[in-house]
Amino acid sequence: MRRILTLVMGVVLVLVLGIVAPSGATTPEVIKIEFNTLFHEADAKAMEEIVTLFSQTHPNIQVELVQGRWAQYYAELRLSVIAGTPPQLGICHVNKLVEVADYLTALEASPVGDLIEIGGINAADFPEATWKAGELRGHHYLIPLDTHGWGLWYNKDIFAAAGLDPERPPQTMSEFIKAAEAIKAAGYYAFHPAEDSLPRKLRRAWEIFFYQMGGGSLFDEGYTKATFNNLEGLSALQFLVDIFNDFGWNTVGGNGYNQFTAGRLGMLFAGNWFYPTARDSGVNWGYAKVPNFFGTPYTWGASHQLSVPLQPAGTSPAVYQATMELARFVVEHSHIWTMSGGHIAANRTALEDPTLLASDYWTRSGHLLNEMIQEGLVKFPINHPRGSELESAIETKIELAVNGQITPAEALAQAEAECNRILQGG
Amino acid sequence: MRSKIRGFLYRHRGLEGIMYVLPFAALWGIFLAWPVGYGIYLSLFEWSPMRGSRFVGLENYIKLFGDARFLNALGNTFKFAGIAVPLILGLGLVFALMLWSWGRTRRGVGFVQAVLFFPYLLTVSTVAITWKWMFDPDFGLVTHAFKALKVPAPVFLTEPAWALPAIAFATAWWLAGYRMVVFQAGLGDIPQELFEVASIDGARFRQKFLYIILPLLKPALLFSLVLTLISAFRTFGQVLMMTEGGPGRSTEVLALYLYRTGFEYFNIGKAAASGVVLLVIMLILTLIGVKLLGLKSELE
Repeated sequence: MRRILTLVMGVVLVLVLGIVAPSGATTPEVIKIEFNTLFHEADAKAMEEIVTLFSQTHPNIQVELVQGRWAQYYAELRLSVIAGTPPQLGICHVNKLVEVADYLTALEASPVGDLIEIGGINAADFPEATWKAGELRGHHYLIPLDTHGWGLWYNKDIFAAAGLDPERPPQTMSEFIKAAEAIKAAGYYAFHPAEDSLPRKLRRAWEIFFYQMGGGSLFDEGYTKATFNNLEGLSALQFLVDIFNDFGWNTVGGNGYNQFTAGRLGMLFAGNWFYPTARDSGVNWGYAKVPNFFGTPYTWGASHQLSVPLQPAGTSPAVYQATMELARFVVEHSHIWTMSGGHIAANRTALEDPTLLASDYWTRSGHLLNEMIQEGLVKFPINHPRGSELESAIETKIELAVNGQITPAEALAQAEAECNRILQGG
Repeated sequence: MRSKIRGFLYRHRGLEGIMYVLPFAALWGIFLAWPVGYGIYLSLFEWSPMRGSRFVGLENYIKLFGDARFLNALGNTFKFAGIAVPLILGLGLVFALMLWSWGRTRRGVGFVQAVLFFPYLLTVSTVAITWKWMFDPDFGLVTHAFKALKVPAPVFLTEPAWALPAIAFATAWWLAGYRMVVFQAGLGDIPQELFEVASIDGARFRQKFLYIILPLLKPALLFSLVLTLISAFRTFGQVLMMTEGGPGRSTEVLALYLYRTGFEYFNIGKAAASGVVLLVIMLILTLIGVKLLGLKSELE
């Protein structure tokens, strides 16, 4: 009898364990992925908001979001791939693709298959040109997140004090000169064309004038030589130099951000990321498209895109799957990205989100930047493996010209020579 | 067992000393010698781990010395050291002398010492951001002070002639406090009797300074000189944050050039070569400090 009882109890125990054990095994495994970005201001907060939302709705995917290292971002991205510890998801400026493509996963040819398909991402949801910007040498590396760019920020109170209509910002050269001179006469800094006057900002301002004048491309098609040292390049630089020197619209070395937020500057060229600063500054500000100074009202801009850095061999398909789920979530929720971060979402559906369209950012400035983008007026930076060096060669000379150390002609000649040396492998 | 160990150590008496330095030698080897050696090794390659690195011998060095930007950075580094080192040492010495002479007669010396030393406790980013604001052409305190004196203020950080001295001045403000402490220690070691005898003989401060203080302060001065020279040649953070090497490239020093070449342009081989050049310069300067200026004999 005792034997039978023992047998029965044993069977019961096995059954109980049999019921409990499978239910334990089906507990979903938490997949950890790292998402590195270079965002560091309002856009960093916006990305955090999106990732928090993702974490709430995807308890089986744990995302570690690392942000804020703009200057070292691309170096860290490359070094992390070399070290075998890359983040699973990253950001890439579209013009940087050619510099870092060796360190990114070709999305359609990953070790686990076509990641675009796995993530359920549809190319038709994005403008064709923005999607194609992620292609290089027959592979597709990037998923569009946004387009960002510069616009005209102006102080409505200063406009009123200068006798100008605060609701009619200048949009032509003659209107602009009239407004700038009136603001100057009222005792304010009239115009700053380059945010905080850092060399790369001065170069962007020069590029705007250069493209508006129809100066063509900065380099020839095959990037064999610089082509910016022409009449338009010189006129554009002369105009930039005159703004700080002859016109008296600002002073050399002046920081446009500080001047604007202190209520001392009438008009400022700055990116969409200036929105939270302007909003919180207490300045009664307005926003307009970049005026048409010289023919076509081009502005400077770029595009952030999502990328999957090269993963170490043997990375599990579940990790790729989770990464692409996050990527899709980010682009599908990029209305938050636009609303809080200021960059214009690349995803068409996100741009139609009612909360975005009713938001303060969109109604006061975002829709105008979007119009410039849709009209094809945003000119992207140069696209070359040594692009950073080429840009540095140009901007240092432009800065010297603006500061009055060399003439615009000397600046362009020196920049051209240095760029050609770099292009020839120097 | 103990006697066996004792016997072993007795037979290998040199081993005991090696055991003492082993922990330091291991750390030094891992964190200094190996990275320096690897840096030299990298400088001989066109480094591209994704596409395969290529041995290029001295090509990176040849390219470097044919690169006007590198030569400009090298020149700027010497210029910066030429301005910053005397400023840092001079300010440190003046502070130390001031406190040393006050020490015997006035109260509150500790407070003044703390105030003068305080900047040294700040990080380079704090110092750079603070001084960038101080030199701001619109809202800076320095600009404001010039205006109050009805003197036209230079645009310090955007005029090539002023930018490097302005950064050197900010650096001196930052580092002089530590040199002050070194000099104070040196001054404290000078026997008071020498000053008393000199006073009896009618010596004035200038004579005491030239014939007593300076000769006896030589070890502290030389120590600080070598330390400050090395620090000046490695200058990076304040230049990056105050001017980014501008205007133009008038403040781009060697360490900033190295950083950009390596981490912005990702030309690691060339960056490593410029690092080796910087290392050689610092070695030479240190040797000059030790051999020619007599630090070795002073240390002995």
